[in-house]
Amino acid sequence: MFKTLKKYRIPYLFISPFFVLFLVFQLIPIIWTTFISFTEWKGLGSPVWVGLDNYRLMTQDYMVADAFWNTLLYWIAGIIGILLFALMIALCLNSSRLKFHKFFKTASFLPYVCASVAMGLIFGMLFDENAGLINEIIITFGGDRVPWLTSSAFSKIPVIILFNWRITPWFTIIILSGLLNISREYYEAATVDGANIVQQFFYITVPLLRNIMFFCMLTITVDTWKMFNESYILPGPGSSNTSLFQLIYQSAFKTFKLGYASALSVILILILLVISIVQFAIRRRQGEV
Amino acid sequence: MKRMKFSGVSFILHTFMILVIIVCLFPVLWMCVISIKTVGERVSGFAALTVLHPTLSNFGRLFELIPIWSNLYNSLFTTILGTLTTLFFCALAGFAFAKYRFPGRNALFYFVIATMMISAEAGAIPLFIIMRRLHLINSLWSLIIPRIATAVGIFYLRQYILDVPDEMIEASRIDGCSDFGIFWRIVVPIIKPALASWASITAIVRWNDFFWPLLFLNKNDKYTLMVSVSMLPVSDGLATPWSVILAGTTMVIIPSILFYLGMQLFQRSGSLAGAVKG
Repeated sequence: MFKTLKKYRIPYLFISPFFVLFLVFQLIPIIWTTFISFTEWKGLGSPVWVGLDNYRLMTQDYMVADAFWNTLLYWIAGIIGILLFALMIALCLNSSRLKFHKFFKTASFLPYVCASVAMGLIFGMLFDENAGLINEIIITFGGDRVPWLTSSAFSKIPVIILFNWRITPWFTIIILSGLLNISREYYEAATVDGANIVQQFFYITVPLLRNIMFFCMLTITVDTWKMFNESYILPGPGSSNTSLFQLIYQSAFKTFKLGYASALSVILILILLVISIVQFAIRRRQGEV
Repeated sequence: MKRMKFSGVSFILHTFMILVIIVCLFPVLWMCVISIKTVGERVSGFAALTVLHPTLSNFGRLFELIPIWSNLYNSLFTTILGTLTTLFFCALAGFAFAKYRFPGRNALFYFVIATMMISAEAGAIPLFIIMRRLHLINSLWSLIIPRIATAVGIFYLRQYILDVPDEMIEASRIDGCSDFGIFWRIVVPIIKPALASWASITAIVRWNDFFWPLLFLNKNDKYTLMVSVSMLPVSDGLATPWSVILAGTTMVIIPSILFYLGMQLFQRSGSLAGAVKG
């Protein structure tokens, strides 16, 4: 053991920063948070062991239920919206018929460059009930003012739009890189064989893009379940659009219920774990078929 | 007839892309317009789109509301130092994973990839306690140190280092170059394009960072610009004029857009598209 370490000390030394930092700033905190979740603790003094009380409390807390359903909605809306638009934009950018290719590519990436918090303030103004441009447009077309951020029915929509608007370009670029890796020869051969554009898309593009799409789905999953900025900066009434991670932050650092917030963190970790295991399992089965 | 059909397709294609660009750019342009309006001018509805008396007074007001210079310094310090350190350590680890054979290499690499599924945010509570014990609360280092080596960065840079020819590394080793010397003098110069595109992404992410500064910093003059701007709606009583708030967002968004466009000019086209290979 010691001899191996000595012989290969240089590569181990080069990769060690990651593992040390992972241990101190990720693994230990997660184990520690699991421990705190079985206690009641205000951050000062010593934690009091309460067993599963925090988890029991959670099932009766309507705010937890709200935050869970909101985040689930953000996740589903994220997967569908982001992948759909990113794929469509990437297909357009990849088309040889598109002129001003460089301009379109650069301009469509810009939302990702903009800070979500700053854009949140702007979206808050665009979606303002009385003065916002969105409602003004709706009225022009004969509709009624929508209380976007002041009613619990609508307050999730601006959050979803902001999140999807900002993050889609990142996945456009990733999908585009996948499209660029598909050899033109496949399409040429298919054209010779008489396949039309739709057939080419479903029989060449989709199968060859499956790995990239899977990677995107995993990333979107992690990003949406730990969403914070968007719902923090566009608060709706009560917990109507609070995300799960935002609720963790509030319980821990605003009301100082560290045990309760830790229990919520454990649930968040478990959700992410279950989702990724399910996604890998589905992919594996698809791979075998 | 065939020609007609083709121009139809390209018409739809261009219309769609123009709509996309409008949706992408409109909120940003709208923000810039409002930020130069006088406080008295209407900012609601369509009236927001016309500027009668362009002014920079909103930006002046910002300097009274928030300690801009120290916030800006904090943002630049964490962005620049954070980007440089992460580039160095991710490239170093990527180099080891790409060009060395050692026991457990593949297992360790898969482990690195797997950690992407766990977010550091899940451990935010103990992390805060750890930072307090390390006396790093209100220190900019709390934003830099935990992310000195990231899984994504290692994964991305390793992909590029794999393409560096082994012969070059062997040759320089025979010439008596040390391991670190090979990394610094051979590998780094070759992967400069990858480093540049990864640097621009990292810098933008760090500049836009919000949750961690909000958690670890809790004094006005210790905030990064992003945290200060997020608090603008409540920093002038509860009645900060919208034009002033949007002047604040302009001040954080425009620099990152200019930085991104600048990097695009210096990079060969498509290098960003190669950001995730395979």
